[in-house]
Amino acid sequence: MSPMNNCETCPVHNKANLIKLGLNMEQVDFVVAMAGNPNTGKSTVFNNLTGLRQHTGNWPGKTVSRAEGGYVYNEKRYKVVDLPGTYSLLSTSTDEEVARNFILFGQPDVTVIVVDATRLERNLNLTLQILEITDRAVLCLNLMDEAQRNNIEIDERTLSKELGIPVIPSAARRKQGMNELLNAIEEVATGKFVCRPHRIKSRSSKINHAIAEIAAKLEAQFPGLPNTNWVALRLLEGDNSIIEAVRSGELGHINASESGKINTGVLTIDA
Amino acid sequence: MDPLNTDLKKEQILSAANTIRWDLGMDFHDTVIESIYEDASRIARKSVKQKGDKGAYSMDLKIDRIVTSKWLGFPLMFVMLAVVFWLTIAGANYPSAMLSAFLIDYLHPVLNHAAASIQMPWWLAGVLIDGAYLSMAWVISVMLPPMAIFFPLFTLLEDLGYLPRVAFNMDSLFRKAGAHGKQALSMSMGFGCNAAGVIAARVIDSPRERLIAIITNNFSLCNGRWPTQILIATIFIGSVVPAQIAGLASAGAVVFVAVLGIVFSLVVSWGLSKSVLRGEASAFSLELPPYRPPRILQTIYTSMIDRTIFVLWRAIVFAIPAGIVIWLVANIHIGDLSIAQHFIDWSNPFALVFGLNGVILLAYIIAIPANEIVIPTILMLTVLNSGLSGMGAGSGVMFELDSTADTASILHAGGWTLLTGVNLMLFSLLHNPCSTTIYTIYKETNSVKWTVISTFLPILLGLAVCFFTTQIWFMIMG
Amino acid sequence: MKIPFILEIQPGAMLIIGLLLMLLMFWIFWPKRGLLALLSKLKINNQRVHLEDALKFLFDCEYKNTICNVNSIAGNLNINMEQASRLVERLISMGLITMNDEAIRLTDTGRSNSLRVIRVHRVWEKYLADETSMAPADWHNEADRLEHFVTVEDTEKLAAQMGHPVYDPHGDPIPTIDGELPSPKGKPLNQMKAGESGVIIHIEDEPKYIYEQLVVQGLYPGMQVYVIHVIENKITFAANGEEYTFTPLFAAHLTVELLSDKAPEKQKHDLLSSLSMGEEAEIAGISPHCRGQQRRRLMDLGIVPGSLIAAEIKSASGDPVGYRVMGTTIGIRKQQAEQIFIHRKKENHYESNE
Repeated sequence: MSPMNNCETCPVHNKANLIKLGLNMEQVDFVVAMAGNPNTGKSTVFNNLTGLRQHTGNWPGKTVSRAEGGYVYNEKRYKVVDLPGTYSLLSTSTDEEVARNFILFGQPDVTVIVVDATRLERNLNLTLQILEITDRAVLCLNLMDEAQRNNIEIDERTLSKELGIPVIPSAARRKQGMNELLNAIEEVATGKFVCRPHRIKSRSSKINHAIAEIAAKLEAQFPGLPNTNWVALRLLEGDNSIIEAVRSGELGHINASESGKINTGVLTIDA
Repeated sequence: MDPLNTDLKKEQILSAANTIRWDLGMDFHDTVIESIYEDASRIARKSVKQKGDKGAYSMDLKIDRIVTSKWLGFPLMFVMLAVVFWLTIAGANYPSAMLSAFLIDYLHPVLNHAAASIQMPWWLAGVLIDGAYLSMAWVISVMLPPMAIFFPLFTLLEDLGYLPRVAFNMDSLFRKAGAHGKQALSMSMGFGCNAAGVIAARVIDSPRERLIAIITNNFSLCNGRWPTQILIATIFIGSVVPAQIAGLASAGAVVFVAVLGIVFSLVVSWGLSKSVLRGEASAFSLELPPYRPPRILQTIYTSMIDRTIFVLWRAIVFAIPAGIVIWLVANIHIGDLSIAQHFIDWSNPFALVFGLNGVILLAYIIAIPANEIVIPTILMLTVLNSGLSGMGAGSGVMFELDSTADTASILHAGGWTLLTGVNLMLFSLLHNPCSTTIYTIYKETNSVKWTVISTFLPILLGLAVCFFTTQIWFMIMG
Repeated sequence: MKIPFILEIQPGAMLIIGLLLMLLMFWIFWPKRGLLALLSKLKINNQRVHLEDALKFLFDCEYKNTICNVNSIAGNLNINMEQASRLVERLISMGLITMNDEAIRLTDTGRSNSLRVIRVHRVWEKYLADETSMAPADWHNEADRLEHFVTVEDTEKLAAQMGHPVYDPHGDPIPTIDGELPSPKGKPLNQMKAGESGVIIHIEDEPKYIYEQLVVQGLYPGMQVYVIHVIENKITFAANGEEYTFTPLFAAHLTVELLSDKAPEKQKHDLLSSLSMGEEAEIAGISPHCRGQQRRRLMDLGIVPGSLIAAEIKSASGDPVGYRVMGTTIGIRKQQAEQIFIHRKKENHYESNE
């Protein structure tokens, strides 16, 4: 049974270019991380891309461990890592640490943020946190069908401009928007689309000043670190894994120019 | 760069950050989060428009008002659960009988025959076929059909979004016991299989409440124990009342034991939260997701893979060595008697104090992998120990009888009384979790301490309950 | 066949034996008062306790710029003069303090030792407050007990887990591992003038009976205060819409950091639990009594100042209540809803379709 048979409504032009790899993930060209709040259909998007069948319960916090899968699109091999669904990356639960550390140290080429279109504001909380860490992301505006039923209209272009990343409306349960998503992932991965991610603007000058002071010191010690402001903020929050990363120098391996492809096995945290 | 110098610089960064933190004050974390929300809400205001009313949401709200209403909420829930259990028990009968006819009645003799024809030594055939194969076949035929029905049904309710509402309604009861409303779900899941119930406790995000749910899950009478309860209730409870109400009385007794399990689950939760788990942090949050039509085929597929096959596989892995042990204790002789008989003779006096007997104790020890094989093991051991002839299939070979009357006569011959029956029902509810569940508890908690507590707490409780039942019984009966 | 002895006991006697056994088990395992708990208490070394408490007290004197002597040590540690002077002699011989005409001062080693004890104490206080369900009045005592037998490694592991806290729950700064501590900030409430406003940054936790009263009155670090008037022996101030009148002795236990840029909040907050079904309000904040994971979880779910929240459905048993916030319905227990502050809207007729 090919899941693509159900896809009557999606554009045909790219269908032939997608090969689902399931668990076969040797020699990947790009690593894609999937993040999002619980219960946004993240696992459904993951299953659509990889052809795997992760259980997707209507129950917050279903995916407990990290799932991985792969696909080939336009002759490039992608590895997709489904991160645990979390509301935030700032608290201290194991799930959040797994997700956060993967986006930071795993350096995915693209992070797909799956959000629930019917509760955009709530979901933007996590989105903005992710955009503080990584430059390369795609927003998958999922559950558009539900949003329509609730008479919610979303101006994708404004949203994309505000966030500085591609915004793809989708309805993963009906397999709508998947080709556009694949396309957007490719464009960000290959650098055709250059993201200018939103950075938090509402902080007080006192906090901004503190961040700038630490960021300057980090810049001197770890040149090329792509998200110094965020790392500085984490140090100011006393985040232990970031403190350890500074101490061990692991932070120095994160480099703006060279990303992806590192062995994700270095992440020892296993949910 | 000089490494020492680098280290020094890194420490300087850290200490600078620390100094600034004094100035940022106590509510720094709050301010950081609030500023993110502020940006989020500004962006949302710019890009989201609500046109007209929220169609689907008002529908959800209407359903919720019924599902959580004061008068309909609880009845609806019990009807739903009753239907799930009825479908499971009624629906599993036929496939179970088929599997057992094939695996035990047909394939087992064929294998024995084949072993004889290649002149396999009798002890090897015994260990492999009568021990390992038979216990595996037993576990599959008794366990697979109910799980294959129960889990998909449960998963459908879960995907629909109904289960969070159950947790929402039940929370006040569990709150009083110091637990989380979502424990209602791991508990109901435990009626299917305790190992799955323990895994289901993952949805509880507060560590303390999750631990309580894991430790008390065993008090949910699982699928593997229902047949034992029904059989024993029919033989012993049904026989002391007039024949017309025998069925009702024995069914009532089984329901009583299941409800007793729920009571124990709540009381033990309360006890734990007041003693060992006192002072542990607890955080309560419960999201009520929108209702979504479940996708039936996919649900059946994933719940089969995720739950049924997963749990069954673990059970088989544990059942095979247990089958070997069962066969060995019944067949290795020291002096005139087998190891099993030695143990039964030795433990009988103690067991009688608890209103049980040596056979039951031994059966619960060696049949630890699955509650499903407790009754076959008890029958085999009873026949072995009382030297009944013409019954059973040889020492170390588990068996069951189609006729309840025949089973009753074996048990009576083994010296069982109504008191033994009552105590077996209680002990079947209150004893250690099966090895699959114990292993799952270890996997989920990652702690030897909690695994040991969850294993031995129910045994202690069970022995205490049986002890007092027995001694009070003796007092009254003189 | 011989009947085993155990079966010859009468059921009545058996029952009594059973009950006794159960009582014995309870006595052994009962938390806090059981045999096992008592045995673990015996492990605490009394001498170490006195030494560490004395160091802590001496540092406190130094931090507050007061002078202390053998007498005040005896008073603070609740020991007699003889014990106190022996303690002081020991401390001198260990090179931790010096004595100069009655006045006792810490040496550098003494200071760093006492900072280490203080760090352990405050980190554990923070832990007890945030990660356990212990009552506020017990944090200090429990930390006082723990600080004498927990290891430095355990404490550091705990600190790392909690994100290296820099303030304890009373608002006191926690010294760093290297013994750094910021200079004291703010001033005691009794030194404030009428019309000044500020934020409580510290509530002194000793003596206990005053601290407990302050907690019962609902005062907490982070609370905004506004001094209404000061007359002799009475200071009257407003906090969270309530008026308090304290004697200077009491007021001195509160340290306040002055605010100049913020207008004081005069409106009293309502509690989320007071919302009736279908009513909507704006969230004003979460009470500081809601701490640790509980607080973070609520904020993650969108309970932040400024968001709109509406009570939607009651569970079949009445508690918890489902609140709609940022498009999601969340079940919140009454006990927690009482820790969330709201501002009621002026016009209050809200329909289910918003």
